[in-house]
Amino acid sequence: MRDIYDLIVIGGGPAGMAAALTAEECGVDRILIIERGERLGGILNQCTHSGFGAAYFGEEMTGTEFAERFRERMSDSGVEVITGTMVLSVSADRTVTVSNKSGCAELHTKAVVLATGCRERPISSLHVTGTRPSGVFEAGAAQKMLNLGGYDIGDDAVVLGSGDVGLVVARCLAQRGRRVIGVFEIRDVCGGSDKNRTECLDFYGIPLYFRHTVTRIHGEGRISGVTVKDLDSGAERYIGCGTLITSLGLVPERELIEPLEAEDGSLPEWIFTCGDARTVHDTVDAVAFEAEKTGAEAAEYITGGTDI
Amino acid sequence: MRTEYDATVIGAGLLGCFTARELVRYGLHTIVLEQREDVCTGISRANSAIVYTGCDTKPGTIKTEMCVRANRGFDTLCRELGVRFSRCGSLMICFGPCGLGVLEKKYAQGLENGVQGLRMIGPEETYDLEPNLAPGVRAALYAEGTGTVLPWELGCAAAENAAANGAEFRFCSRVLGISRREGGYTVSTDTENIRTRCVINCAGLFADEVQELLFAPSVRLFPKRGDYYVLDTKAEGFISHVISHEPEDKKKDGGFDKGGDKGLTLVPTVEGNILVGPSNMPTDSKRLGSTERDGFELLDRRISEVMPGLPMRHMIRSFSSLRPNPFQVELAGGEYVRNGKSISNFTIAEPAGDASFLSFIGIKTPGMTCAQELGRYAAEKAAAYLGAKEDPRFDPVRPAPVRTADLSVAERDALIKDRPDYGRIVCRCRGVSEGEMIDAIHSKPGAVTVDGIKRRTGAGGGRCQGGFCSQKVIELLARERRCLPEEIMKDGPGSYILTGGETDA
Repeated sequence: MRDIYDLIVIGGGPAGMAAALTAEECGVDRILIIERGERLGGILNQCTHSGFGAAYFGEEMTGTEFAERFRERMSDSGVEVITGTMVLSVSADRTVTVSNKSGCAELHTKAVVLATGCRERPISSLHVTGTRPSGVFEAGAAQKMLNLGGYDIGDDAVVLGSGDVGLVVARCLAQRGRRVIGVFEIRDVCGGSDKNRTECLDFYGIPLYFRHTVTRIHGEGRISGVTVKDLDSGAERYIGCGTLITSLGLVPERELIEPLEAEDGSLPEWIFTCGDARTVHDTVDAVAFEAEKTGAEAAEYITGGTDI
Repeated sequence: MRTEYDATVIGAGLLGCFTARELVRYGLHTIVLEQREDVCTGISRANSAIVYTGCDTKPGTIKTEMCVRANRGFDTLCRELGVRFSRCGSLMICFGPCGLGVLEKKYAQGLENGVQGLRMIGPEETYDLEPNLAPGVRAALYAEGTGTVLPWELGCAAAENAAANGAEFRFCSRVLGISRREGGYTVSTDTENIRTRCVINCAGLFADEVQELLFAPSVRLFPKRGDYYVLDTKAEGFISHVISHEPEDKKKDGGFDKGGDKGLTLVPTVEGNILVGPSNMPTDSKRLGSTERDGFELLDRRISEVMPGLPMRHMIRSFSSLRPNPFQVELAGGEYVRNGKSISNFTIAEPAGDASFLSFIGIKTPGMTCAQELGRYAAEKAAAYLGAKEDPRFDPVRPAPVRTADLSVAERDALIKDRPDYGRIVCRCRGVSEGEMIDAIHSKPGAVTVDGIKRRTGAGGGRCQGGFCSQKVIELLARERRCLPEEIMKDGPGSYILTGGETDA
């Protein structure tokens, strides 16, 4: 790792990889991807189910296969990659401060692409009453524990929120012989895709309740139940459960660049964003397409529009 | 293993930890018995985090004396213990005549108590200090000495310093019986019998029950619940002082069984969060940690009165606390019933008639501020009773733990060259490294649960509330403690996170 780059891409998921590869194709020389995980791929590494790649690669594949395709392209490229490294800050003088097991350093760059993805909204940020037991997982965290950690996270699950990740985790539990009591959605439409609704819920006989939400968590130690409210009748009922999976929506992870935002929300011209850090996308394919454009824009900024 | 001690402290909350620290100052062989797995898991983990000046209580009481003295010494204490302390000052505000009366009374009281840096200020200066307050502030009592500290950070530091000076801690040791013996007591837990010359009962919400293991009931605890909100560090700077509100619609005496007679308090914590609370609602349960709708509704109403612009979109968590209100009890119709008003002074009982058995029952606000003073009080009594002198080998300094987020790039880099795990950031919201977590696990007494790591390092207390790092924290705990990840608890008994196929409920 040197300390001067033309482009630093923060985040080595599909968005970061696609942006970096395109920037290189457009003539940018010294490109670095900084990934906090131990390998490139980001959230795709925990997506062992299929449903990826139809638009981008013209064939359907699993998330892990999608990531592998990109990793192969990365290894054929001249883009430098550093994993196991956290970006601590990005400052107005175009300095990116990083920390990893070898040290803490300041890197200088002409431009930054923020491709840090998104995070899940935790249930603790809602006005849910009751106790704070264990056994409550955000869907993405549950998926990681199940698919990457190889752990068992419990039985008799209630899923709150019908976003795609929640649906996929419901299926994941059902496939492991775990009982999924139901999915409760506050709106009157399913948050996830029709395809996921059919494949993840209907196929396993998991009921989906619209206009329902969880108002209270019960249990000392491990969760023992939830109070569910029917928004139309106002009626509340207790449902015993051993696990609560929440899929309450995704929030772009932009904290690194927030200190650089102007009052009107605009960013310095040398900062670019793509993927779910820019706005939450429905598919990874859409992320990859968008990130390619972002990579080209960053390249144009760096090279001044001329191929070097 | 020793089974005979000079002093046995029951309860490892803030008070128990400080009492142990003061006992070992006298070279007394001290053991702390705690029913839970870690320090500060009860009322110490959930309160308003305020270091008070001593203007809120009546002159001449032990509570007032201790509070005023403790506040003056708090910088020194926190320096000794390596604890973050912010002397941010406080504004007690009012919007009308009832509140103004209370403020003026507290101002006069504070002066009489010897509190320095107190001023009554008008609306203009109040809004200069806190521009986001609701319109219509009538006046404020400004107290420059008020501060804030994280209660669990303070408690962990006191415990570590006590342990470093020889105090023993036994966790998962619930006291089931206490009996007299020649020259002292036998304290029985589920696993052992401890022979001790003195007992100091610091059992928090359960202090009355512990005392009644041997003595007739005299004072019992009737808790009240306080719900709180925590705002993300994104709201940092929205307030810069502890703000408390003296409401106009405060209920008079006799309102104990009703809710909501306290105003709102807002605290800018040392970690950059804003703490909002507490509601003050009746409860019949000593079970900690259940938030309720009526409490949230009260907080929301108070927020709209005091600070309507408070960015509630940055709320990351809610929790509830219990306040241990002591009441005299008397026998009526075969059972003990509450008698009179809640006791406002600290209740320090010597039910045996001498300093061999000392009970702190119902140490509520400003208990955190006074924890060291109370501990010293108990230790001086015990030392006099046992004829012990101060031990010159006692070292009051507990080195501050490494917090990489507070260091410069060069300092971090140097540290990482020596210990690479300080370079690996595990909690992205709070920027906590693997090294800090390993330190927390190997401190004595160390973290054994995910929440124990949170109390010591802050990890998992940020905006994602552990969604990102909890698996890693579980794996680290398992690796360092040489156990299976499935054995790691979130918090108290039964709070398993991962399940083995065979242990499923």
